[in-house]
Amino acid sequence: MAGRPRAAVLSGFGINCETETMAVFEMAGATADRIHVNQLVTGAADLSDYQIMAIPGGFSFGDHLGSGRLLGNRLRFGLREQVRGFVKAGKPVIGICNGFQVLVKMGLLPGDDEVSLTQTASLALNDSGHYENRWVTLEFDPSSPCIWTRGMKRIRVPVRHGEGKFVTDDRALLDKWSASGQLAVRYVDPITPYPSISDETLPYPTSPNQSWRNIAGVCDPTGMVFGLMPHPEANHSTWLGATWTREDSEHGEGEGMAIFHNAVEHLMGG
Amino acid sequence: MDGELHPCMRGNLMSVQTEPHLFEVATRDLEGLPDARGESVRAMLAADHGIEVAAVRVILGYQVQADLADEEADSLVHDLFADPIIECGSRLTRLLDDFPEAPEIAIQVGYKPGVTDNPGQAGLDGLLTLFPHHSEAKVATNRTYAFWGVPENVEPGALASTLHNPMIERASVAGPAECSEGKWPALGFPLNPPAPYSEPAAIDLEVSDEELMGISETGLLALNLGEMRAIQDHYRDPNTRLVRERLGLSPNAPTDVELECLAQTWSEHCSHKIFSASIHHVDTETGEDSVIDSLFKTHIMQPTLDIQKEVDWLLSIFHDNSGVISWNEDWSLCIKAETHNSPSALDPYGGAITGIVGVNRDILGTGLGARPIANTDVFCFGPPDYDGPLPGGLFHPSRVFRGVHAGVRSGGNESGIPTINGAMVFDERYIGKPLVFCGTVGLMPRRLTDGRESHVKTPEPGDVVYMVGGRVGSDGIHGATFSSLELTEESPSSAVQIGDPITQKKMLDMILEARDSGLIQVITDNGAGGLSSSVGEMAELTGGAELDLGAVPLKQAGLSSWEILVSESQERMTVGVRPEDCNAFEALAVLHEVEASVVGTFTDSGAFVVRHGEKPVAHLPIAFLYGGCPQLHLESEWVPPLHMPFEAPDLDAIGMGEALCRLMARPNIASKEWWVRSYDHEVIAQTVIKPFCGANHDSPGDAAVIAPIQGGTQGAVISNGIAPRYSDIDAYAMAAAAVDEALRNAVCVGVDLDMIAGLDNFCWPDPVESPKTPDGRFKLAQLVRANRAIDDVCRAYHLPCISGKDSMKNDAMLDGEKISVPPTILFSLIGNHPDVRKAVSSDFKSPGDAIYLLGQTHQELGASEISYMMREEGRGGIGGATPDIDAERNLAAYRALCSAMSDGLVASAHDCSEGGLAVALSECCFGADAGASASIDGLLSDCEHLDAWGALFGESLGRIIVSIRPGDREAFEEAMEGNPCHFLGTVVQGDAITFSRDGEDVLVASMGSLRNAWKGTLDGGVG
Repeated sequence: MAGRPRAAVLSGFGINCETETMAVFEMAGATADRIHVNQLVTGAADLSDYQIMAIPGGFSFGDHLGSGRLLGNRLRFGLREQVRGFVKAGKPVIGICNGFQVLVKMGLLPGDDEVSLTQTASLALNDSGHYENRWVTLEFDPSSPCIWTRGMKRIRVPVRHGEGKFVTDDRALLDKWSASGQLAVRYVDPITPYPSISDETLPYPTSPNQSWRNIAGVCDPTGMVFGLMPHPEANHSTWLGATWTREDSEHGEGEGMAIFHNAVEHLMGG
Repeated sequence: MDGELHPCMRGNLMSVQTEPHLFEVATRDLEGLPDARGESVRAMLAADHGIEVAAVRVILGYQVQADLADEEADSLVHDLFADPIIECGSRLTRLLDDFPEAPEIAIQVGYKPGVTDNPGQAGLDGLLTLFPHHSEAKVATNRTYAFWGVPENVEPGALASTLHNPMIERASVAGPAECSEGKWPALGFPLNPPAPYSEPAAIDLEVSDEELMGISETGLLALNLGEMRAIQDHYRDPNTRLVRERLGLSPNAPTDVELECLAQTWSEHCSHKIFSASIHHVDTETGEDSVIDSLFKTHIMQPTLDIQKEVDWLLSIFHDNSGVISWNEDWSLCIKAETHNSPSALDPYGGAITGIVGVNRDILGTGLGARPIANTDVFCFGPPDYDGPLPGGLFHPSRVFRGVHAGVRSGGNESGIPTINGAMVFDERYIGKPLVFCGTVGLMPRRLTDGRESHVKTPEPGDVVYMVGGRVGSDGIHGATFSSLELTEESPSSAVQIGDPITQKKMLDMILEARDSGLIQVITDNGAGGLSSSVGEMAELTGGAELDLGAVPLKQAGLSSWEILVSESQERMTVGVRPEDCNAFEALAVLHEVEASVVGTFTDSGAFVVRHGEKPVAHLPIAFLYGGCPQLHLESEWVPPLHMPFEAPDLDAIGMGEALCRLMARPNIASKEWWVRSYDHEVIAQTVIKPFCGANHDSPGDAAVIAPIQGGTQGAVISNGIAPRYSDIDAYAMAAAAVDEALRNAVCVGVDLDMIAGLDNFCWPDPVESPKTPDGRFKLAQLVRANRAIDDVCRAYHLPCISGKDSMKNDAMLDGEKISVPPTILFSLIGNHPDVRKAVSSDFKSPGDAIYLLGQTHQELGASEISYMMREEGRGGIGGATPDIDAERNLAAYRALCSAMSDGLVASAHDCSEGGLAVALSECCFGADAGASASIDGLLSDCEHLDAWGALFGESLGRIIVSIRPGDREAFEEAMEGNPCHFLGTVVQGDAITFSRDGEDVLVASMGSLRNAWKGTLDGGVG
């Protein structure tokens, strides 16, 4: 496609990572607009004008009634056809942290071929019972269809959540998602050699929330819709790393940027 | 709900029109899915109350008052309240019936009527998403705790008291007998009845002095006799009477609305009367006998005004909601810290969350609106392991700690503002009143697109006054005057509120868009004093305002005029908008789902005029409102206190290592990681130096460094200093130590010393001599000395104070016993960082690196942490020399170090403070998973009579531990020439930390054991 892809970065109701989410899309070569959810409801903005939709992290509606639930409902009931149309058009969607919770609770992730918006998984309270901000190491499934994670091996990024334990009530689905490469990103122990994705739950705090199969993020069957609990946008520059003062590397882009480059390159035909 | 009333409904007098629907939600029984809420309660009971129960389950309840059809109610269970994957939901039966084994005790907790119920509000929003036609619906939430395996000696009532705060919450309890019969607890819907409206009344002040004081005391006005007489005089003035007669107001007596407005405006909280007082100060040591006309003007403001002549970056100081500095050509930074002590004592969670979202609004209300980008939190609590007697009406310090922490966590995290720096201080005297300092940094563009400078408010007569955000309720009445009084058992619950971060976040998003669109003429927050302060203060700028209380949206019908005017209900800003911009402003409010109501107009009439509908209820000349409060005249006398001297035991190197281990475990020094991790410290993707550093992300950082412009490398440094222990000997030393600690921390990360600004937050016990405060002269002398230290040290450091706050009544009178906090200053600092890529962290980097100590060490163990430890262990006192300050020498050394940092010569730098050199060096080792071998020989050249205790545990100011890569040593030593900088030794592989003197070990310890001791004390006990 010609020109820079346009990203709609949703805002409002307690979403609070829109500033840095817009920044990473800009850094990756897209243009980013902050779009209040109500602008889509009233028609003041139109999703079909955009090539990327991002639901950033935050505390929409204070996480009351379950994180992501109420914003998920606003989208599921208020913007149902706009959102389905966007996904069915094969445009990339990302949800980060609270945005991931929204995508899971509105049924877009792990999702199905029909985009039926039926919830099949959830993000439960961390086993610790509370919110935590700590750095984790993520590893990506090289066989995943996810366009956002293409070619990525490991990155270090922070988690900042209280409800990030990925679970489902039908364990057979986990095998299905695993086989289809939808379990795109997992928590791993950084001292193990690559690759080391494991289905055995890793000890706390290597797995910060005791997510099933160490799942940190998933994609839909097409690989276009992706969500994860950790914050890749929080590591957009080397000086935002957790231990950068102990490392001798050249300063520049941080480890989280590859995800956003992937989406932009996908749209640019890369 | 089956409609049958349970025994636990006794005492619930609320009439309910339609029976509310009760929806219940609990965690599903899935393998690998614990009930994490229940587990947290179980762990909290064990950690904080020593109650070990076998199992706890938590059920979330939603009471919905609405005429719901069955299919609507069914939909609400699955589409709204219960997550279909991980939760089970019910609406016609109680989930307590579903447990395989009935619980032994079940306790339901819900809010009292009128208390902010954030999840309930969210539930209502969600209900309206599904069924918009139920616009009259109400939703309230509760939690039911089910217990199994409760020890026999634990009464159900005692268990309930650990789970709710009767000031804001209700509990319904089912004991074993009820539980065995399935009689479950069931609270009624917390209906808030209309308030008893009372007509505005005139208050006759033509009465005796005793009666004047009676009016002040029974009305919780907190006005003294001189102030009551000043008001009396105003209403005797024939001109006043003439004007009032014309308006239809009681000509020779204030209305209750006016009296309340004056009480708020003249409260210690709002007008800082003690800092403005004329003080007769006597110093028995030096023979000084002098009069100080306003500590604030003399010692805080004057030094800043003098520094302002030398620099061009002080944009707005002292007069706005926060101080503003120009950070670069495009952006300015502002900073403010406040305390929320009294509310946090009564309801730790609500008080703290209200504190943090309140100070965020100070930033939003600075200039034409700034974006809050970082929070700092500093708490002073009683020791969490306190086991002494607790006066009635007080929570145990561990409960205050947990509640305050949870409040600040919710407030900061939900608002999307990172908590980047903070501190916790423990002392038994904070049991009476905890100190909860909440600070916020803001960012704003230097200029708006219309060319206006954003730090300057530009109101004009004719601008429309909007109240934006939350509504006004009876919560939060008398907060300002209440905080100007001591805490007693009778303190009003209306002074307690629960903040609502999401309502505020929506408002914040809207306000910043309005600012960027040029729609805002003037803005301030509604904090202490509510509309009386916010509209009143801005009316001072144009010379008047008219306000219609009838136009103010209310949470609760029936509020009286004065209550609407002074209510401090949260999440509200007051904004002035040009008439032609009102449509655009209101459209933004609609987009963001924020309520914005026109409540008045700014004028230049010279008066603050208040109506309630058509009825005039107040007419207060601006000059009288803001200039009529008489100056206090106070007495101060300094007599140095006497203390038993510190006594050093004779210990061998192992014994010294063990003493260090005990020191590391003291709450003031112990790791706060468990608590700090639950603050989001990285949202906005700007935090460069975080609260944690080191190989394992667990060693403590010093100052925070942020790079607030995405992708930019210019940074801001934020640090704090607090050292209340020294007040026990001399508040001058306390204040000097606080300022130096804040600066030292900032130097440790490489601050730009040519752009540093400070915030002084004083928390004092009542320093006004009276029968209740016989030692008022001494406490005032402490205040005088602390102010003089701020003056001396800030001038020497070229560190202007740009904002500050004082809280002067931090006493609690409980069971007839007075508990006063130690005089405490939190000194916060904001500075520029030229290039965050050159910032330095505190952790040692590699074995083999050389360790240096910058600064001089003297035999200064008076009021040191080790002296308190030894006294508590039964040896000696805390007496001795407190750290002296040589600010010129320190500043030169700081400059040399920062310059070496920008040359890339410094591998690590860590502040030496509580616990001295030995503690600081251990913390540096934790970050590297390494040991250290150090000698104190070099330190002896600073001070001839320095002994090992002074060298290892003394807290001399101006000292920083740095480590240098072997190849940089020569260049570093050259860079530090002319400054005190001692080579101590090297970072070593392994676990041993040793200090030697003349080749003999004086302290030997294992890094691993020190780290365990340091991490074990405040480990949260949960999760």
